[in-house]
Amino acid sequence: MSVEISVNLRKKIDEIKKKFPRDKSPILPLLHAFQDEFGYISVEIEEEVAKIVGVSPVYVREVSTFYSMFNNKPVGKYHIQVCGNISCWLRGYDEIVEYIKKKLGIEIGETTPDGKFTLSRVECLGMCDQAPVMQINGDFYGNLTPEKIDEILDNLE
Amino acid sequence: MSEKIKVTINGKEILTTPDKTILQVAEENGIDIPHYCYHPGLPVAGNCRMCLVEVEGARKLQTACSTQVRDGMVVRTDTPQVKEAVRQVLEFMLINHPLDCPVCDQAGECGLQDYYMEYGQYDPKFIENKNKKSKKATPIGKYVILDQERCILCARCVRFTRFITKTEEIGIFNRGDHSEVDLFPGKELNNRYTGNLVDICPVGAMTCRDFRFKCRVWYLEEFDSICPGCSRGCNIKIYYNPHRPHKADGNRVLRFKPRFNPEVNRYWMCDDGRYGYKFIDENRIMYPLKGKEEVYLDEAINSFVSLLKESIPDRTFYLLSANSTNEELFATKKFFVDNYKLENIFLPDEDIFTGDRDDLLITEDKHPNTNGVKAIFNILYKDLIKLDELRELLEEKSISLLIVNRHELPEDVLDFIKENGIKLVYLGTNFNKTSKAADLVFPISVFAEKEGSFINVDKRFQKFSSRLEPLGVSMPEWVLFNRLSELMEFPVYYSSYMNIFKHMISEVGAFKNIDLNNINKYGVLVEL
Ligand code: SF4
Ligand code: SF4
Ligand code: FES
Repeated sequence: MSVEISVNLRKKIDEIKKKFPRDKSPILPLLHAFQDEFGYISVEIEEEVAKIVGVSPVYVREVSTFYSMFNNKPVGKYHIQVCGNISCWLRGYDEIVEYIKKKLGIEIGETTPDGKFTLSRVECLGMCDQAPVMQINGDFYGNLTPEKIDEILDNLE
Repeated sequence: MSEKIKVTINGKEILTTPDKTILQVAEENGIDIPHYCYHPGLPVAGNCRMCLVEVEGARKLQTACSTQVRDGMVVRTDTPQVKEAVRQVLEFMLINHPLDCPVCDQAGECGLQDYYMEYGQYDPKFIENKNKKSKKATPIGKYVILDQERCILCARCVRFTRFITKTEEIGIFNRGDHSEVDLFPGKELNNRYTGNLVDICPVGAMTCRDFRFKCRVWYLEEFDSICPGCSRGCNIKIYYNPHRPHKADGNRVLRFKPRFNPEVNRYWMCDDGRYGYKFIDENRIMYPLKGKEEVYLDEAINSFVSLLKESIPDRTFYLLSANSTNEELFATKKFFVDNYKLENIFLPDEDIFTGDRDDLLITEDKHPNTNGVKAIFNILYKDLIKLDELRELLEEKSISLLIVNRHELPEDVLDFIKENGIKLVYLGTNFNKTSKAADLVFPISVFAEKEGSFINVDKRFQKFSSRLEPLGVSMPEWVLFNRLSELMEFPVYYSSYMNIFKHMISEVGAFKNIDLNNINKYGVLVEL
């Protein structure tokens, strides 16, 4: 299966490639561009990006699975990513994540049946001063408590 | 870079060159530094942190595998700090490692077991549940089984497929303690060197589907040999099972592994060669046959002598094999060419021009010793005969006695032989169509059961020896020719392997630069 690349995405790819002196360098921005278009990075996309930069698909997959900002399968409308690294963990990650699981009725890595929420555990989000933290799509939320989670999630359409 | 520098390791002053790493210099001087990710045949990765050592003047411990030596460098590998660091690295590696040793085929040659006994031996502090990985004992190719939980993420396998075979089927995906070594989704291992992954994996994460559970490695013994699978002549170790023959269906030889030779195969060998060992124990001819009946060796030899005496050299025909050792070929030449005055002695082109070769090791000539035939019989490629033209040759020369060394003759030739009452004598290691049609069959010992030498594709003369007894009454060809010579009253008679070897070296022109007392363990180039 190959990936259908829209005119828009093709333009983006060319622009990204121009910015980098070495062929291998644009893997990350290319993955972002593809994820913006398709919502997640499929195996076929990894093969496509590998072709564009001239490396093996394995090489691209090592990158795309390493970073938690790339989804390796489709996600819901809102992607809740809870940090499970040491600061957040010490400050209540377990409790937070249990609460979200129960509230949404899903496990880590799952999506609600209506396709609205996906829950993930991720590595450090760089906001240890506000631990525990989570990221939903582009937005960050810190000092989480069950009440705060209710407020945030209930306000999402 | 021949500039000499002085390095001190554990108080020992060492003269070396600056192009080396601490680990290399230590190894060359018999100082062991524990390591996992470092492998001399692969680019340095520096990811396992097992090789930490103290370098005077450096604030922190340094990785010996990735730190180059400098003049005046003072290194210690034996301080309490180093030992503690190694112990802690090991403890981290074992956090998610299953307690699999009793059911793990790597046990006995496992890097984790070995270093745990040497550096570990701690009381584990880890009380959390171990991480589960997705693949446990999963085949990932024809010969390799992957067990992700046992993997220590050293990435040797990744580097092997990236830099040696350049096939890049394997990667390390995900991050942190979720990292898993795996194939790209939907792919299989797709190269002809996959057995090497099992060799280089320092733990039981990649084990061999062919060898698994046949024998615990501590029951095996080994000896050095040369792979007969093609004209590369990769240097190998043969592992056999002398103590528990009832295991593994009574097969003696259970695996081949590559042996380092910088001039031939470096650290590697191909799968065809590695898993081609089965002919050593299977389908072997063990006793002489006369008209399909087993007979005593004396009887068979007497019959052969009668056939030779009945026939005349003009009507006798010999098909050489490029699987014979140089010594055997030399004895063949003495017997048939020099004494019996045979002119009809040929090498067929069978399996020589297969076109199947690659840039790493595999050569298209699937015999180990075509260059040996060249050296001893002065046969050139243009003199090779085609097996499918053999019938015409036999007819043209009105042959009455055909002697075949190992080759499988085409049906039409076998039919022709039968129809025309041509006597067929077969010398070989394993049964095939020719042996089944032959009037007389002589059991020849396989390469792993005898001393000998081959000349590889690059004209490298390589000697090998054996620790296996020949099966049944099988014997090296030169022993058979000894017996025949006696009865034919020919002058040549060799008392021992060493004796024939010495004669061969001094009599064959191509071998004149071989120094009998000084044969390099990596082989000697000969002039062809
Ligand atoms: S499978 Fe073996 S060689 Fe590959 S990374 Fe794991 S431990 Fe290293
Ligand atoms: S390349 Fe040839 S000699 Fe080497 S292991 Fe393979 S078959 Fe044997
Ligand atoms: S051997 Fe040096 S870091 Fe692995």
